Amino acid sequence: MSTTTIETVLKAPTERRWLPAAIVWVVLLSAPLWLPLVGGYTALASHVLVMGLVAMALNFLLGFTGVMSFGHAAYFGLGVYGAGLTLRYISNSTLLALLFGILLGGLVGTVLGALIARRRGVYFAMVTIAFGQIFYYIAYSWNSFTGGYDGLRGFSRQPLHFGPLVIDIQNNGTLFYYFVLAVFAICIGLMAFLLASPFGRTLIAVRENQRRARFLGIAVDRHIWLSFSISCYFAAAAGALYALLNNFADPMSLHYSLSGEIVIMAVMGGMRSFWGPLVGAAVFVILQDYISSMTENWMSCIGLLFVLVVMFFPRGLLGVLQRRGSP
Amino acid sequence: MNMLEVRNATKTFGSLVAVNGVSLSVAAGELRAIIGPNGAGKTTFFNLITGFFPPTSGAILVEGQDITRLSAQERVKLGMARTFQITEIFPELTVHENVRIAVEVGSGFALRPWIGRDAAATVRRATEETLGLCGLESKAGRSVGELSHGDQRAAEIAMALALKPRLLLLDEPTAGMGEQETYQIAGLIRRLHKQSNYTIVLIEHDMRVVFNLADRITVLDQGALLADGTPQQISENPAVQAAYLGTAE
Amino acid sequence: MLQLVLFNVTNGLIIGAFYVLMALGVAMILNLSNVINFAHGNFLALGGYFAFVLTPYIGFWGALVVAPPLVAVIGYLIERVMIRRVYSRDPVYSLLLTFGLAFILQDACRYIWGTTGLPLTVPASLSQGISSELFFITGYRLFMMAIVAIAVIGLFAFLRYTRMGVRIRAGTLDLDTVAALGINVRLLRSFNFAVGIYLAGLAGVLAGGQIGLNPNMGDDLLMPAFIAVIVGGVGSLTGTLLGGLLIGVASALTTVFFPSAQEAVIYVIMAVVVLIRPRGLMGEEGMLT
Repeated sequence: MSTTTIETVLKAPTERRWLPAAIVWVVLLSAPLWLPLVGGYTALASHVLVMGLVAMALNFLLGFTGVMSFGHAAYFGLGVYGAGLTLRYISNSTLLALLFGILLGGLVGTVLGALIARRRGVYFAMVTIAFGQIFYYIAYSWNSFTGGYDGLRGFSRQPLHFGPLVIDIQNNGTLFYYFVLAVFAICIGLMAFLLASPFGRTLIAVRENQRRARFLGIAVDRHIWLSFSISCYFAAAAGALYALLNNFADPMSLHYSLSGEIVIMAVMGGMRSFWGPLVGAAVFVILQDYISSMTENWMSCIGLLFVLVVMFFPRGLLGVLQRRGSP
Repeated sequence: MNMLEVRNATKTFGSLVAVNGVSLSVAAGELRAIIGPNGAGKTTFFNLITGFFPPTSGAILVEGQDITRLSAQERVKLGMARTFQITEIFPELTVHENVRIAVEVGSGFALRPWIGRDAAATVRRATEETLGLCGLESKAGRSVGELSHGDQRAAEIAMALALKPRLLLLDEPTAGMGEQETYQIAGLIRRLHKQSNYTIVLIEHDMRVVFNLADRITVLDQGALLADGTPQQISENPAVQAAYLGTAE
Repeated sequence: MLQLVLFNVTNGLIIGAFYVLMALGVAMILNLSNVINFAHGNFLALGGYFAFVLTPYIGFWGALVVAPPLVAVIGYLIERVMIRRVYSRDPVYSLLLTFGLAFILQDACRYIWGTTGLPLTVPASLSQGISSELFFITGYRLFMMAIVAIAVIGLFAFLRYTRMGVRIRAGTLDLDTVAALGINVRLLRSFNFAVGIYLAGLAGVLAGGQIGLNPNMGDDLLMPAFIAVIVGGVGSLTGTLLGGLLIGVASALTTVFFPSAQEAVIYVIMAVVVLIRPRGLMGEEGMLT
């Protein structure tokens, strides 16, 4: 499995490089079996996968190219609306909705990325935020088409048809979970494959030292642009799955506050670790689910979580586990 | 035809003239040292050659081809590789990974999402050869950020070599090093020059290194060319003695 | 029609004035400390609420004088305790920190003063229109513009003529050199942060008198402030000032002809500027790379 080859890039401290990947897949594949026992439910697990995918997509850029986007909710949200609008207005094919969602977020990211890629550091972040808000504003204002402030309703995911075989992901939450897991696996596999390739190593080179990268002959701006675009396609894939999960497209899924949450998931899990953002997303989503049912002041709790992670766990959960000095 | 030729290069920053009409020609296979007191414009001159920024006026040619307006990346593709006064490496990666990335980029694989088995084997062989040439085999698996200053510099030179350059530019390769490390790096440069026949241009402060290694020496002072000649000629040049050797040492 | 145009232009200038106050604070903190302050809008709200609490005791005028420095003190303390500790780290951490702070401050305002809007009473002498045709140009609006103008002129004078101000400007250009000259950079950054927050607090008091108070009142100003900084050019406060006025007036003029595109025009301006002039109207060469 290509997901384990990434560990050669990550330089896992032990010889058992396949172990983290094996644990992740066993946990994810068996989730519907043990989740009810610990008080979880499948929709929550699907939510974790979706946020895990977008956090890993962001980390392709943040952790493996060293470039900080604070506007990734835009491409996630375009995926949400791309899928939702497809089901609402164009076709009742779930797969087509997924495809159009990915294309909408990915292509917009590719075009905007060309404008953004020349910026560096906090200025890059600032421009990504401001550009990202454009789409929040559009979804919010274009009432007749997107449902405006109330969001887009009136669509739902449809069963999958493969010739005579019908998979009812519409009504069966467990089947839908496995559908999400399959898309997740394809995306993660592609990311791992790219990161383990010569191209992926040039991205890590850009992260490590842009001056050295440039004087090795790497076109740094172009590689940042490519990484940004690739990351946007995966973020949009997560967004499209999110629309299918909720049968609803919410303008808040385009808002920069979600961008911040995506970044904290990646950082909390560990930016330098391939699986870190998934762990961070799991902790964040479950915590948010739990806290918002417990107290009205969940915003303070989430804010406090941001502060605590930054002050005391900057390397993230998986970062602390890893040997110091290893990426 | 000269490997490198600089014609009347001038660089100004506002009203400051950092490099003032300097010309230089380096033959293939030559080892050229550029010396001069602090603030003589050596590093600025180097940056003009390597495309860090363009000259205000003048021309730069590599093997007769005008590269004055080319970007740093395009110059790398024409066979120019450099190191920096403050070592520029990929600190969190291993020595092997540092060199491997350089080999892959040098082989034109920078945008390749996959390479075939043969290409991968070639990359591995080239990486190991380069590590061997620079005496880094035993440290290949260690994070380059943890290594000694001398080994980090050797790793940076290895990355430059991995690009298979025709022209190697080293900015103060022994800067900030102790006796032992200076000896290590000087030995490496000598091997590259004598055994592997690289054309090398280096800036250097340590006069023992300069006079031991260089075929020819170029002296800059206050941004201008002061003298150019063999080590013998330079050490006997009264202007150099007055402006540089007399005051700096 | 003339009345409508005048109405919207007045609105635009007032909105632009708020953009400018917000953007100048954001830009000061960004330029010197490399921190994007997501919580800036929440400090604005805090300014409004402090004035609300103080007004019964010391009146609106007293609150206008006292509330902004109080907010600045809170900002100063937060900088001392938290933000300063991440300056040396990857910028992602300072962003996350101010992001978390924004959540906490907003929730705190909601917890203390409630979700529903509260009024901030302004003196009756200020709330009348200057004439029956120009009823929308109230004394308060003119007063707001005057205060903003004074604050902006004061800020630029401070940066030009005081020793601290000159150091802040020098630090914006080259912090290493300023540090090498033996200037206390930590103190400089704390003070600069407090000045930026002071401007937010002042904007909060003024805005409270105009539109009332609610916990999210600063949110709508945050993105335009960012855009003003991008359009004006990172590193240049004059650019930020121009950027804020430009997008304020442009969005007001748009309101006259295409009311629905009022906010869109801000983003269009940003996109055009980034496309044609990537470093912004007055940005320094090299600040962006």
